[in-house]
Amino acid sequence: MINRALLPAGGGENMLHCTDMTVLERQRARIKWQQEQQQQFQLQQQEISYFTELADVFHQAGVHEGGLSEVVTRSVKPDPGLVDNGWNNDHVVGYGVGLPYNNGLGFELNYGAISRTSSCPPEAVAAVAEATVKGSESVVSDMISSGAGRESSKKRKVDKAVAEEDTRDKRIKGCAEQGESKITEKNNNKNSRNNNTNKNSNSNKENSDETSKDNSKVSEVQKPDYIHVRARRGQATDSHSLAERVRREKISERMKYLQDLVPGCDKITGKAGMLDEIINYVQSLQRQVEFLSMKLAAANPRLDFNVDNLFAKEAFPACSINFPTIGMSSDMTNPAYLQFNPAQQQLVACCGLDMGIDPPDMALKRTTSAPVSIPETFLDSSCFTQTHPPPTWDADLQNLYNVAFDQGRQTSFQTQPFTGSIEASNLKMEM
Amino acid sequence: MRDPSSLKQQFLKKWILGLQVCGSGKQNMSILERKEAIKLSADIALASARDGRTRWSRATIANASKHDDNKVLVQHLLAPESESLKKSSIGLVVRDNKRVRCKKILKWSCCVKRVRKSVSQVVLAKSIAKRMVNRKTRVLKSLVPGGEFMDDICLIEETLDYIESLRAQVDVMRTLAKATELVNGK
Repeated sequence: MINRALLPAGGGENMLHCTDMTVLERQRARIKWQQEQQQQFQLQQQEISYFTELADVFHQAGVHEGGLSEVVTRSVKPDPGLVDNGWNNDHVVGYGVGLPYNNGLGFELNYGAISRTSSCPPEAVAAVAEATVKGSESVVSDMISSGAGRESSKKRKVDKAVAEEDTRDKRIKGCAEQGESKITEKNNNKNSRNNNTNKNSNSNKENSDETSKDNSKVSEVQKPDYIHVRARRGQATDSHSLAERVRREKISERMKYLQDLVPGCDKITGKAGMLDEIINYVQSLQRQVEFLSMKLAAANPRLDFNVDNLFAKEAFPACSINFPTIGMSSDMTNPAYLQFNPAQQQLVACCGLDMGIDPPDMALKRTTSAPVSIPETFLDSSCFTQTHPPPTWDADLQNLYNVAFDQGRQTSFQTQPFTGSIEASNLKMEM
Repeated sequence: MRDPSSLKQQFLKKWILGLQVCGSGKQNMSILERKEAIKLSADIALASARDGRTRWSRATIANASKHDDNKVLVQHLLAPESESLKKSSIGLVVRDNKRVRCKKILKWSCCVKRVRKSVSQVVLAKSIAKRMVNRKTRVLKSLVPGGEFMDDICLIEETLDYIESLRAQVDVMRTLAKATELVNGK
């Protein structure tokens, strides 16, 4: 049993590090970790459930895919005895890549969990997170119960793993709003079975914890679009307070995202302060828009914005770059569309170039002073740190350039500003 | 973050299109008129870049379409997408408003006024905090277009998206302003 847990057949080379620590040390470390995990477990469950929902909301938005994986890695602590940190985190973030550590039966069940939910990435992440936790748990339970009769513990482990997996699976599905009544029935069966098996077991600390937690939990009615929630131990279990709690936690999740978005909010905890900052920020952005539109109105007597000639000579240094040969493609019929592209391209390149032009702007964060000073001091530094990879930018520019080039309006002189801008924007992007 | 550069490019394209529509109409506009036109086309372009997926964008478009003068502009800017988007955005906003208003009326009618006799410090502090939060939420609702008709959770999501879009808008406008300055300077 122990051997099987520790030395997986054909597992990764990472596993070999473990042989450095003695069995006892590893056991101790694992137990300690396991205890910590138990405490965090409830919270984690909820976090994961909220993530799947939240991720659905933000998925199309793609707002926080990075944030989601970060938080998931944060919530699943690496097991010190079993794997080394980097590897574990990698596997949590890498969506449903197979779990190499073999737990025998436990491992296969984990795989089942992952494959079932692998259709949707957020669910897969949650599944992997849960599976890694669960997998490690079964290893620990393995270790702890090694004192008892080997065979009975094996059976217990299997039953328990099956029950746990099913309940959690059900929870994942419920949270992703795909629950069906039969699954909940199965859950109820498994819960009772779980209780039975737990009663039969020795008084394992962890098992008894699980049982008491199960008994004090409450599940909500099963219907396809209900969100399954469990009450925490020692908290009110009527539906109103549960709903309140769900709502409150949703709000605080979203506030956290806002904290990342609004500059200067890291120190502030508490809804009122955060709301204050958000309000100020939105107001200042709106004021900037007003001011900039006024400025543009003043600068352009005719609202023409003919930006073809905008960056003709002065803005870009002339560079000689081997530009890839661009085949002349077919006609373009819409002149209006053509007109935009060089403009867009130039402006888009200018957006990149601006980073170099305005070092004083780099200094600052926020101001509430009069609109006049805003453009000089206010800066969205996070916008300037382009999070998307430069190649996409380049590809866009190149496509636009192709279109513009085909028109034959571009003189050879003007190719240089374009190349110059593209290279400059590349440079800025890489910084 | 949702790809910021593509958002900016989309926004810029639509904005310039809108400006051309505006500019072709009248000659000799005053500075204020020009500013309004610029701002309006910027706002509508920004909202249409979201393709009606967020409430604030639908609310902006709906508000803009209320005035007849702007209808042409809205039509032009939304032309690549279907006309139905525009109609649906107006319809959705109306429906959202009605639904939320009904909920509010129901809530108020069921709410019972509690008589406060002796209030402990803790309870008092909590109620003050709650009132502050409510006040600020109301302010935020007034800032975000279409915000009065959203519940708290939705409001925060919409604010997130709105802030992102506003940032993109400010960046693009600033670059354009600088560019025109450079040109005019020479």
